[in-house]
Amino acid sequence: MPIWGRSILLKLENISAHYGDVQALRNVSIEIKEGQIVSMIGSNGAGKSTTLNTISGVLLCSSGIIEFIGRRIENLPPHQIVELGLVQIPEGRLLFPYMTVLENLELGAFTPKARKERGENLNVVFGLFPILKERKSQLAGTLSGGEQQMLAIARGLMAKPRLLMLDEPSLGLAPLLVKQVFATVREINAHGITVLLVEQNVFHSLSLADRAYVLENGGIVLEGGGRELLNNSQVREAYLGI
Amino acid sequence: MFITIAQLIINGLLLGGMYALISIGLTLIFGVLEIINFAHGEFLMLSMYGSYWLFQLYGVDPYLSLLIILPAFFLIGLAVQRVTIQPILNAPPLNQIFMTVGLSLVLQNVALFFWKADYRTVKTAYSAVTLKTSGLMISFPRLVAFFLAMGVIAGLLIFLKRTYTGKAIRALAQERRAAMLMGINVYRTYQIAFGIGIACVGAAGAMLIPVYYVFPTVGGLFVLIAFVVVVLGGYNSLTGALIGGLIIGVVEAFSGFFISPHLKEAIYFVIFILILLFRPTGLFGRA
Amino acid sequence: MTSISEKITHDLFYPKFYFPLVLLVLLAILPTLPRNPFYEDLIVTSFFYGTLAAAWNLLGGFAGQISLGHTAFFGIGAYTSTLLYLKFALSPWLGMLAGACLSVLVAIGIGVPCFRLKSHFFALATIAFAEVLRFVASYWRELTQGGVGLLIPFKPEIENFMFRSKLPYAYIALALMLLMILVSYLIRNSRFGFYLISLREDQDAAESLGVKTSRCKLIALMISVFFTSIAGTFYAQYLLFIDPFTVFSLPFSIELALFTIIGGLGTVIGPILGAFLLTPLDVFLRGWLGGVSAGLNFIVYGVVLIVAVVYFPRGIAGWLRTWYEPFLRALPGAQRSLVKAKSVSVSASAATSEPSNPEKEEIQSPFFQVQSLNKRFGGLVAVRDVSFWVRRGEILGLLGPNGAGKTTIFNLITGFLPPDSGKVEFKGERITGLKPPHQVCLKHIGRTFQLVKPFKDMSVLENVMVGAFAQFKKAKETQQEAMKILDFIGLSRHSDSLASSLTTADRKRLELGRALATQPELLLLDEVVAGLNPRETEEIIGIIKAISNRGITLLMIEHVMKAVMTLSHRIIVLHHGEKIAEGIPAEISKDKRVIDAYLGEEYLA
Repeated sequence: MPIWGRSILLKLENISAHYGDVQALRNVSIEIKEGQIVSMIGSNGAGKSTTLNTISGVLLCSSGIIEFIGRRIENLPPHQIVELGLVQIPEGRLLFPYMTVLENLELGAFTPKARKERGENLNVVFGLFPILKERKSQLAGTLSGGEQQMLAIARGLMAKPRLLMLDEPSLGLAPLLVKQVFATVREINAHGITVLLVEQNVFHSLSLADRAYVLENGGIVLEGGGRELLNNSQVREAYLGI
Repeated sequence: MFITIAQLIINGLLLGGMYALISIGLTLIFGVLEIINFAHGEFLMLSMYGSYWLFQLYGVDPYLSLLIILPAFFLIGLAVQRVTIQPILNAPPLNQIFMTVGLSLVLQNVALFFWKADYRTVKTAYSAVTLKTSGLMISFPRLVAFFLAMGVIAGLLIFLKRTYTGKAIRALAQERRAAMLMGINVYRTYQIAFGIGIACVGAAGAMLIPVYYVFPTVGGLFVLIAFVVVVLGGYNSLTGALIGGLIIGVVEAFSGFFISPHLKEAIYFVIFILILLFRPTGLFGRA
Repeated sequence: MTSISEKITHDLFYPKFYFPLVLLVLLAILPTLPRNPFYEDLIVTSFFYGTLAAAWNLLGGFAGQISLGHTAFFGIGAYTSTLLYLKFALSPWLGMLAGACLSVLVAIGIGVPCFRLKSHFFALATIAFAEVLRFVASYWRELTQGGVGLLIPFKPEIENFMFRSKLPYAYIALALMLLMILVSYLIRNSRFGFYLISLREDQDAAESLGVKTSRCKLIALMISVFFTSIAGTFYAQYLLFIDPFTVFSLPFSIELALFTIIGGLGTVIGPILGAFLLTPLDVFLRGWLGGVSAGLNFIVYGVVLIVAVVYFPRGIAGWLRTWYEPFLRALPGAQRSLVKAKSVSVSASAATSEPSNPEKEEIQSPFFQVQSLNKRFGGLVAVRDVSFWVRRGEILGLLGPNGAGKTTIFNLITGFLPPDSGKVEFKGERITGLKPPHQVCLKHIGRTFQLVKPFKDMSVLENVMVGAFAQFKKAKETQQEAMKILDFIGLSRHSDSLASSLTTADRKRLELGRALATQPELLLLDEVVAGLNPRETEEIIGIIKAISNRGITLLMIEHVMKAVMTLSHRIIVLHHGEKIAEGIPAEISKDKRVIDAYLGEEYLA
């Protein structure tokens, strides 16, 4: 289906957010259409994680509107947002270290809707990540970095997301694993799940993205198609200083 | 000699079982909500009174009263959490400490107001029954209490391991932000965890009243022991609280016999201070 | 130039000075007013509790270490002087000093190991300790008569610290209270006071500024305990009866903390206010409700505590502060101008000195070097065999994607984390694993933190003063130095604002200024530029350049390419904990490995 025909899944309009007295986001507006992969790039401290946390309801926005599937969600508590199908895979994975792989996955399917389809989802997830099936009784804290990332993604998938948000999934991973992670993201998207990807790894995230936003100091400074931005000299300057 | 040792071990374990039950609630609350419930002993005191009055007024056997006390104290825990703990969850430690300290002060003195400082206990038909086997004397009520306590603890551990709510509680204790992102209702889970912690200590009260006296400040005695157990076992380990409780019970039995019954308290505190200084994570705790 | 006597008489008419004097005179008259022993006793008790609360506040308020076992020292004071008097006929005045010294020694023994504990556990440990003492006092009958207590025979003489009328007691208690106020005031405005508050606000930041946090906590403990113990002796001499249950009581410890919280934690006057408000309340409640039923007054206390904690965490003093200034202004004499010492105004030019050229100074051994530094956390290798060196006056940029190990290296250098292996040398001296962090600061290595750590409850000027106290002892000189620094970093107009009110950009400047005040020769900057808009970025780059021009060597972690490329003389790049490239900016921006690490390979393909 051509892009202009798809519906808007998530919309942020002039979102501002504060950490105490410090303004972290200024008038951020983004739009994500169903089925897209949208990327948000920016240097450390630019506000990428803050944006995701505001969407997820972990951080309260001070002004602005967030709409998900046409419904206003900016004042909802985090657990309700997950129930609607908006799932975040946080930076640093944040697995439950003293619980097994299986328990982590089961917790991913905590919401009533997801719980019903738990069995099916487990199969899907084990199909995507066979190594997790092998290690299902192992404590999550003892997995390697790459396996932990896979588990974090799988855990997010267990919640039956319509929109999956990933916060720097390639962080701390060796180059080969990084490639794998992005391939997985592409595959998930192919299954019909819309993706919002926040990354420092510019090349991969822009190549993958249908649309991308560049964040700087809490505000959007550039937006456009993924490939388009890949060739944009401003982006190169921001990241290479040349 | 061997008989004496065995007797002491048995006495110690029976006592330790109670300590374990009291402490496990405290560990759960600290592990999940990260606050030390300085009022924990007062809930023990209240449930002892509750059980006492149920017996005095309605003839309910203390062990049967468990059926009432467990759910009642769970609800009391929910309510107390909502009113006093929830507002200060994100406050600085000073405020948290004083909230539960204030609560403890209020509860103690409410009890003093209503029931005076008299010592009371419950004498049932079997209060004085002792089982005798192979030279050992085992107090029947304490034995029953021990098994009930183990039952409650086992129930708790299974609940935490098998049910979704239980897993949510464990998840919340391990990684709070991720738990939020799983769709776990954090505030409700905090309430439930606190409620369970209070239900546990409430159960302990019902089991203690046939063999102990209740008076308004009895909580203070037990809560200090509970602190020692929690710190010994590891402040975020439930199995640690169980094992720690049993150990402290045995230590108390032995030191009471070989050294002096009066020095019991001193021994606890010495253990307490030593652990805090040299192994703050306790036996089973995780850093 | 006015003479001192002229100055004093002139100032005396200014409300800021005469109002407290008026209060003082009123307090001095107060004990003579009542005709009724009940009220006389109330006054003595109020002064007494005021003293105790102020003493507790030194540790609990200023230093932020919540002790719920202060009763232990109260009891030690009471028992020591009493036993020395009863058994050896030693005058309680001397016994009081002996008790205080004993308390201090005991406090050192307890404090040193316990300060390591986090707040909840520290409070628990103090409770446990006080209980042990109560226990000892109850059961060591040969020494203390156990639970029966000790009775002091009434022989009113000055050397016996006993008097017929309550009046002398009232004045002694008043003197003690005024002494505590003086001590609190002096501490609050001294280097020690600044250090205490800074370590309460953020221990790591304080350490990085040269604050010897453990030592400061200990000193606060010792002073607090000394006076608490003296109050214990006073109590014994006033009531002439002590027993373990009363002098080693946990509720008593809680009361002390309660007075301070209600009055205003960490303020000079707060504990006094709390004591003056609550003591009469307590006495009346006890008389009125206690008669109805024992313990009712404690219920009220408990509720008050709960309500105060939730709704009035800053106490009365915080609330009064907003009224005090306008009130003073409304008093007669407020319109006269005050003879004030001229504040030092410094022009910005004083801050810059000739730029030094790093190329010229070739030293035999590097100014700063790191060799084969390693650090792992469990299975994760955070820093792997990292080596680099820095020349004096240079700006070395430290780049690398998130998680590359950069901040870890800073922590390894500055004493926040011990390295597993490797060497760190500064000016030829081995400083590998030097700790605690204040030692590193004292060697003239300073740092800022990635997530800025302002001392929120202090003004901007006071924040910088904490750093400046590393070089100066007196508050006046330190203030002047801090003002100079504020000028340099452009925050002068905010000097009296609370640090919590600053914007991100200004907080970053504050963090810089504070570290600068310690006069470092090597300054480690952790992502100072991140999160700033273009104009703020330009400004801070300017400040960093100016710092370098003063001759300070800089090691900068940065993500903002523009800043790194323009500022750095040289750059090293880390990835997965290893150094993957080193060179001048132009080389680095073309280095394939660097581009791979940051952007993913084939970016420039």
